[in-house]
Amino acid sequence: MTFKRDVLASKIPVTIITGFLGAGKTTLVSKLIKHPDMNRVAVVINELGEIGIDNDLVTMSSENISLLSNGCICCSVRTDMQETMRELFAKRMVGEIPEFDRIIIETTGLADPAPILQTLLSDALFEAQFRLDGLVTLVDGFNGIHQIEQQMETCKQIAVADLILITKSDLLDTATKEALQTAVRELNPKAPMLFILNGEIEPKQLVNLGLSSSKSVEKTLGFLGSLLESKEDTGESYLGDFANRHNQGIKTVSLRFQNPFTWEAASAALELLTNLRGPDMLRVKGIMNIDGKPVVIQGVQHIFHPPVTLDAWPTDDHDTRMVFITKNIEATLIKSLFNAVGAITQTPKSSNLSA
Amino acid sequence: MLNTPTQNSRPDQTLSRNMTLLAHHELGGFGGMGEGIGMQKTADGRRILWLAHESGPKNFTVVDVTDPKNPQMILQTDLNNTQLRSNSLDVCGNLMVVAYQSKVLGDKDVGFDIFDITVPEQPKLLSHFDCSGPYSRGVHAVWFVDGKYVHMSSGAGDFQPKNQKDDQFYRIIDVSDPTKPVEAGRWWYPGTRVGDAEPEPKRLPGIFDTGFRAHNTNVFPSHPDRAYIGYIDGGAFVLDISDKSNIKVVSKWNHSPPLNGFIHTVLPLFDRGLWVVSDECVKDNGADWPKLIWMLDSRDESNPVPIGTFPMPSIEAFGKRGGRYGAHNLHENYPSPVSFQSDTIIIGTFFNGGVRVFDTSNPYRVEEIAYYVPGAPRLCPAGAIQLNEVFVDDRNLVYTTDRFGGGLYILEMNI
Repeated sequence: MTFKRDVLASKIPVTIITGFLGAGKTTLVSKLIKHPDMNRVAVVINELGEIGIDNDLVTMSSENISLLSNGCICCSVRTDMQETMRELFAKRMVGEIPEFDRIIIETTGLADPAPILQTLLSDALFEAQFRLDGLVTLVDGFNGIHQIEQQMETCKQIAVADLILITKSDLLDTATKEALQTAVRELNPKAPMLFILNGEIEPKQLVNLGLSSSKSVEKTLGFLGSLLESKEDTGESYLGDFANRHNQGIKTVSLRFQNPFTWEAASAALELLTNLRGPDMLRVKGIMNIDGKPVVIQGVQHIFHPPVTLDAWPTDDHDTRMVFITKNIEATLIKSLFNAVGAITQTPKSSNLSA
Repeated sequence: MLNTPTQNSRPDQTLSRNMTLLAHHELGGFGGMGEGIGMQKTADGRRILWLAHESGPKNFTVVDVTDPKNPQMILQTDLNNTQLRSNSLDVCGNLMVVAYQSKVLGDKDVGFDIFDITVPEQPKLLSHFDCSGPYSRGVHAVWFVDGKYVHMSSGAGDFQPKNQKDDQFYRIIDVSDPTKPVEAGRWWYPGTRVGDAEPEPKRLPGIFDTGFRAHNTNVFPSHPDRAYIGYIDGGAFVLDISDKSNIKVVSKWNHSPPLNGFIHTVLPLFDRGLWVVSDECVKDNGADWPKLIWMLDSRDESNPVPIGTFPMPSIEAFGKRGGRYGAHNLHENYPSPVSFQSDTIIIGTFFNGGVRVFDTSNPYRVEEIAYYVPGAPRLCPAGAIQLNEVFVDDRNLVYTTDRFGGGLYILEMNI
């Protein structure tokens, strides 16, 4: 008679849009908030003034939160992001602002998305009531290659993205497009990439990028990307000669382990990695076999989402599969760390942990 | 939940959290529904919902909900007596029991019907159980879960109450031969019947005097010796019905006075030693507030202890939204394979407060985890939705109905 709650289904999904200065975020967000499909979506932006919404305004619930005619709730950050998220949540709960079912956040240009994510993920209210649905990175089509070569922030933003939008696509000739695609792929081999024009995008393309339910269905592992489908370690994704020249040492590592972990071993290994190389562990996503059960893990630098135990394995593949996006950490190092922790925590009678 | 009256408390607006509407059916324009929803699974695998109307001219409506996004009305029947209302029905296997209550005393048509519904499109009347009498308005609510007994709140030909408001009491009818229903036992609040040695119970003051009458009378096959009774102003009772000719009180609890009476349902959570007790709000515009859902520790039958009430939006937020606002019906863990069963997740209807879902894992701090408040239905007399009854099936789908005309809403919970 005990009902097992789906821990993710009732959390409000949050999408974060990031990108370098001038990539086109303001243009995109201005169009997005007026889109007819934005009913019951809250959008958090830096300044209301940046986005021309006066003609679409229905009411201002408070000095920084407004309801637009399409049902979209527009909210500007007053003090900081954490405060703003709490304010949105609390006011929605007591009915001071209209209801919303998801939040889209647009960050400032130079922002390294990791600190924002860390702030949000380490906030107790956020952890209990929200879930990170996806990181969307805008790349300036015109200046992208140059920025990738020169700016660590740009590389990081691309590496951790669940979706990459290349803006100003009308200004690009074929050669530039291809070079840019290659450069982006070196940093992020598997996130979907779209070319957009004038900031035009359908809201539904931005959402449901993440795990939305602890109930296991076919598409559950979709959010981890198809890197996990091959039966072998892919080790470092093939980078060719461009590896370290353009992408500032960022690499994607995918690993597979056949033997189950214990909670002790899994958490010790991840803790060790983040303690010693936290800032270089840009993003971690995976499904781990912990005591036979499927557990989805996600992390950004030092901070991990609470692990989610699925109600069943999505497929017959019960191996642990993890994707690490790192700065200058070799695949073999991560693998041997997990193996060492696994080995040292095993009880005498259990099977060997080996790659 | 809302705590302040804001633009969100405009009754035309739909409010929702963690619930999605799959379908809304206006039942052919006769969408005023009562307190009886039952589900049948046919031999060919269809799921059929049976719905009792709140009042005439319709009796019951039958809807195929096999595809919950496309409910199909397959039958709607009429009451031939304009004074009658059905209001309550239950489905057990291929039998359906529907109640008849009248506005006038002495009406000959009151009682209940038992139908063979093997073919849902053609219910076959097996028998009618007569409850008419000079002081009887008939049957208000039926409970039928084991195919053998109908437990109900009803008047009787041989029962004269001291106060006419106290005309319906607890009756157990043996329908093991559905063509020959016969009374097996009865219990009434001592002092309410002419001839009782006990004095008439002290009535609640003024507009709150609704009556010392039975409302929900629930018995679970897992605990067949216990009947869980909401006795309106009489409070909550648990009766030992092991000997139906000698029914005894084992537990009782009442919050009124000082509160405003009308205890409606007592839902036992057996493995947890808890009761969930719902009031019924019967007045518009918050006149009889508070009407709540209560959590009681029932481990000591002789001393049920209230440990909390379920969180609800404030009376300021919903009281003036239109019509009634307050507790009423619960999903009662109806013991059937097609019914949702949970001793932690409780679902209830709140008139203009919509349908709300609660997690009672911590019984001292019940949490509201989902709700759906439909916008005011077309031409609704109250000016707002008045969700009256709820049933949740084993697919975790919520079926809830409006009291006056909104019809049937089918919802999914994202919990």
